[in-house]
Amino acid sequence: MELQLQHLSKRYGTKRVVDNINVNLKPGVYGLLGANGAGKTTLMRMICGVLKATSGDIRLNGKTMQELGEEYYTHLGYMPQNFGFYPDFTAREFMLYMAAVKGLDKKEAKLKTEKLLNMVNLYDVADKKIKFYSGGMKQRLGIAQAELNSPSILILDEPTAGLDPKERVRFRNLISDFAKEKIVILSTHIVSDVSYIADTILIMKNGSFLLQKPMTVVTEDIKSKVWEVLVDERTALEYSKHFSVVNLHHENNMVRLRIVDENAPTVDAFTVEPSLEDLFLYYFGEDAQEEK
Amino acid sequence: MLIKYEFLKILRKKSTLIVMAVSLIFTAFLFGLPIMQYQTYNQDGVIKGAEGIDYQKRQYSDLSVFLSEKYINKTILGVQHLFENSDNVGYDGNEQFLIGDAYWNAIAPREKLLNMIAKTYDSPDENSGYNKLRDLDVTNGVNFYQTMKSKIDSLLNAPSRELSNEQKEYWSSMASRVDTPLQYGYYEGWEIIMSSFELLMFAILAICIVVAPAFSGEYQAGTDAVILAGKYGKTKLITAKIVSSFLFGIFALTLHIVLACGLPLTAFGINGWNLPVQIANTTIPYPFTFLQAALLSICIIYMILLAMISLTLLLSSKMKTPYLVLVVLIPILFIPMFLTPNGTTGTYNLILFLLPYRATMPEIGKYISYQFGSLVLDAFSVRAILYAILTIIMLPFVRLGFKKHQVA
Repeated sequence: MELQLQHLSKRYGTKRVVDNINVNLKPGVYGLLGANGAGKTTLMRMICGVLKATSGDIRLNGKTMQELGEEYYTHLGYMPQNFGFYPDFTAREFMLYMAAVKGLDKKEAKLKTEKLLNMVNLYDVADKKIKFYSGGMKQRLGIAQAELNSPSILILDEPTAGLDPKERVRFRNLISDFAKEKIVILSTHIVSDVSYIADTILIMKNGSFLLQKPMTVVTEDIKSKVWEVLVDERTALEYSKHFSVVNLHHENNMVRLRIVDENAPTVDAFTVEPSLEDLFLYYFGEDAQEEK
Repeated sequence: MLIKYEFLKILRKKSTLIVMAVSLIFTAFLFGLPIMQYQTYNQDGVIKGAEGIDYQKRQYSDLSVFLSEKYINKTILGVQHLFENSDNVGYDGNEQFLIGDAYWNAIAPREKLLNMIAKTYDSPDENSGYNKLRDLDVTNGVNFYQTMKSKIDSLLNAPSRELSNEQKEYWSSMASRVDTPLQYGYYEGWEIIMSSFELLMFAILAICIVVAPAFSGEYQAGTDAVILAGKYGKTKLITAKIVSSFLFGIFALTLHIVLACGLPLTAFGINGWNLPVQIANTTIPYPFTFLQAALLSICIIYMILLAMISLTLLLSSKMKTPYLVLVVLIPILFIPMFLTPNGTTGTYNLILFLLPYRATMPEIGKYISYQFGSLVLDAFSVRAILYAILTIIMLPFVRLGFKKHQVA
């Protein structure tokens, strides 16, 4: 299984939202990171065939999406960002409806529906109307529908947005369960979510990939660029204006700052082990600070 | 399976239930109004509602007859005889009319029949009542059916109608197929139904409101992305949406029609279903009974509905919200309501008679015809063809609209 994105671009007028993306994706979990407006959602919509690329190709095992036609969609599971449900449907009805849209036969649809509702812990409330569901329940139903056709490509756009920490952990575990032998593209700007489950990190900025690296080595580039320093409050304020501050922690009358920068902010600063969040800040600077 | 769920999607919405309930209540009110407001008179005064209906029905029980030349002759002579007694005659300075027992016993119970007979002898621009019968010369027979034919010929040859020879021939030929002598009888319920079909436009609007979110509702709710990424999202799902919208439309309109026809027919009875429409107006050229004319009109209304659903779906596939769909649709449905025909010919009138609101009106006595070369078609045929074509033409664009929709 190989998903190839070749010279993929999307323009709106003169604005390039996705700019000449080239990547070969093999089974594994890909964490797609980027600030708002980086082009993540547009890229995912193009992969899902719901938005036409201005140029370039999407190929699955060497064949273009157009050549594969309906077959392409049988390989696809998609959970869009903030997607709506049918509030007057029950979860079971919604799953059976989506199964029909995905072309599953009646028997298989029923089996998969029951199994998945069980997996996402919605079995007991399967006959309750979706309008009475909490945000977390809706997100779980969202991933369950994406998994209905046992897709080999699973696209999840901001699946943990709006969830509380407990729900996010539960959701991450669900994604891990579903991810086996699949190409999973997980878009988020909650960095900690991908740090636990992604095999590869794709960082996107202004429509292009800035970085594509395995999770294990992704922070290597910023080794010796992440600093910690203990300063007084006035200096801390000053540093916040001039450096990318990842973290700030008050200790008595002093403040411990975690800074990402090419050079040591002060002679007292010492390097620490970089995290994915540091990397994110390194690339997105103030954009990322605003989002955080 | 998809059709079932798309149908369920329509039915489950609270807005569907509200719109349909309001529309059914409104239809019941509109078609119930003639029952509530019904009134007839006798010597003692006004008799209203159900009592009035019963009274009128009893009056008509003796009038279920074939209108043979002999019967009409006897009827006219009977009226003339009453006018011969000056005690029976009143005069308002303009015309003479019967009064007292002569009116209440001999005219009132069958005034509608007498008026119909009298009108047959009118010239096209005249509109007389039963008192015209007083002056009719029937010494050489009444020649009722010959007069009926002559009047139709006069109407067809009236310069204001601007009918071509082919059109005249078309209508004459149709009128010649009317069976005579006409069978008379009570037909009040059918008359109310035939004159109120345009009120079903509100039902059509309600149905269009319900199906308007078929596609645009998906865009608005953000479910478009997930269904378009499904295997059948761009193929079978579109068919399912179209079929379920049509099924819902047919089901909902049938409910409205049952109610619209059921109320008058329950109150006035089904009497008259097998009587010729000419007993309401002898110049109607269609050789139909009231039931046949009503069924044909209903068929046309169904065809209008299907075309309007197609148009709604087309707009729905192109527009971002159901509200935008309705902003475009409502004027299309209701502007024709405010346009009045100024005749039965000319491009303006001929187009007007085909627009949704006017097309629901049977207009069976107006000789509305359309000529294409030597081919002449009546309004029913052209409406049926037009709305069938519109339905068929729009559906591929509906498919394309959703298929090409870009989630952005």
